[in-house]
Amino acid sequence: MRWNSIRSKVLAALAGCLIVGVSGTLALMHYSFERNSQALAAESVNGAQKLFAILEARETSKMTAVSETLQTNAQVRDAFAAKDRARVMDLTAPLYADLKREGITNWMFHTPEPDMAVFLRLHNPPKFGDHLNRFIDKEVVRTQALVAGNELAKAGFAVRILTPFYDSHGSLTGYVEFGEELGRFIHTMKDQTGNDYALLLSKKFVDRQFWADSSAVWHRRDNWNDNSSYVVADKTTESDNILRFDGALDTVPQQGKVLERFQRGNAVFVRGIFPIHNAAGNTVGAMFVVRDISSFYMAMKHTQDVLIGVTVAALLLGTLLVMVLLTRLVFRRLDHIIVVATRVVGGDYHSPLQVTSDDEVGKFEELFEQFRRVFVDVLASVPELQEKR
Amino acid sequence: MGQLYDLKVRIEEKIKADGLDSMEMKGKLGLRSGKLLSLISPTTPDNPETIAKLKLAAKELLKVNL
Repeated sequence: MRWNSIRSKVLAALAGCLIVGVSGTLALMHYSFERNSQALAAESVNGAQKLFAILEARETSKMTAVSETLQTNAQVRDAFAAKDRARVMDLTAPLYADLKREGITNWMFHTPEPDMAVFLRLHNPPKFGDHLNRFIDKEVVRTQALVAGNELAKAGFAVRILTPFYDSHGSLTGYVEFGEELGRFIHTMKDQTGNDYALLLSKKFVDRQFWADSSAVWHRRDNWNDNSSYVVADKTTESDNILRFDGALDTVPQQGKVLERFQRGNAVFVRGIFPIHNAAGNTVGAMFVVRDISSFYMAMKHTQDVLIGVTVAALLLGTLLVMVLLTRLVFRRLDHIIVVATRVVGGDYHSPLQVTSDDEVGKFEELFEQFRRVFVDVLASVPELQEKR
Repeated sequence: MGQLYDLKVRIEEKIKADGLDSMEMKGKLGLRSGKLLSLISPTTPDNPETIAKLKLAAKELLKVNL
């Protein structure tokens, strides 16, 4: 088959269609996957942020209920009013053991202002008398009402409530505080969504020595130097590989941010991050969200393979059909015209060309047959051919 | 005069010897050389250009040097 024949050109055009079809399918699937994975990542970040807010609200509500119930306990009220630490300890320790099982890890009593020192730490009784001087301490003094929010302290990053505590005459005797480690939240979130999470804390708000000491106490690897601007406080995955964020936590937008997709072995993950603020509104940390989209990716790959297979098969079948039709309707009939024309030139004046159809080629056959007759008629008058005819 | 006719005769002999379709091959040679072989008679004047074209056509189509 010659390269400039109609067959070659049609085949080249159909091969082009095949390439365009397959490339188009690949591009479409890639685009679809990009968009869907981006949507899944955004949904994961958004969902995690909402879930985190729900957990925060639920735990705040729980701790508020506990503080209000405690306020009704006359024995505790009187013991605290009398600043009888041992008595308060005796009265509250059994309850603290129960609350701890429910996730409340921190419980403190504070003396009233202006001193506002820690009177008793249920979670660390030997340590008292220190001044925390945090935002929520100042805020509860200013408002004389319950203050709730996340606060990063030496005991860790926790959602806390701090509320005024009154004696039986309604006079302020100090403040009571409950707190729940935010690290616990991510495990609850993983249980509910199946995604992995990590709690990141900005180094600007964490004391280096404290981090080293607490790592030793908790038998945890000191990961301070793993990242330049933050430390991983807690995570739901063993591996740190999927937790990668190159940037400052305070640059993470309020609504969260979708990070790049990545692949590890056959698994494909999307990632995102959203900020966590303390009670003063500072971005002190962030929640890193990792969602495994391998099943979605595999389904997309399968669809892509099927689509490519169908495209190739359809185009090959189309090519075959087009070539068969062209051969039957055009090429074979043109070849026959060429043979008849050649034979006429060779001296065969008695083989007419049969008009096989009324289509475009048929019209040409008809025209050629008329031309052949004229040609034969002209030749009939040539003397050299008189005797042959 | 006669060279062109001799050439035609030798071509016809070659076609016959090779068992080819006479009409079709003569048609091809006529189209290639621009001369109808059936119009070549012993009295046809020799034209060097026509002879050369017919020889070239015979060489290409019959693979023979005449």
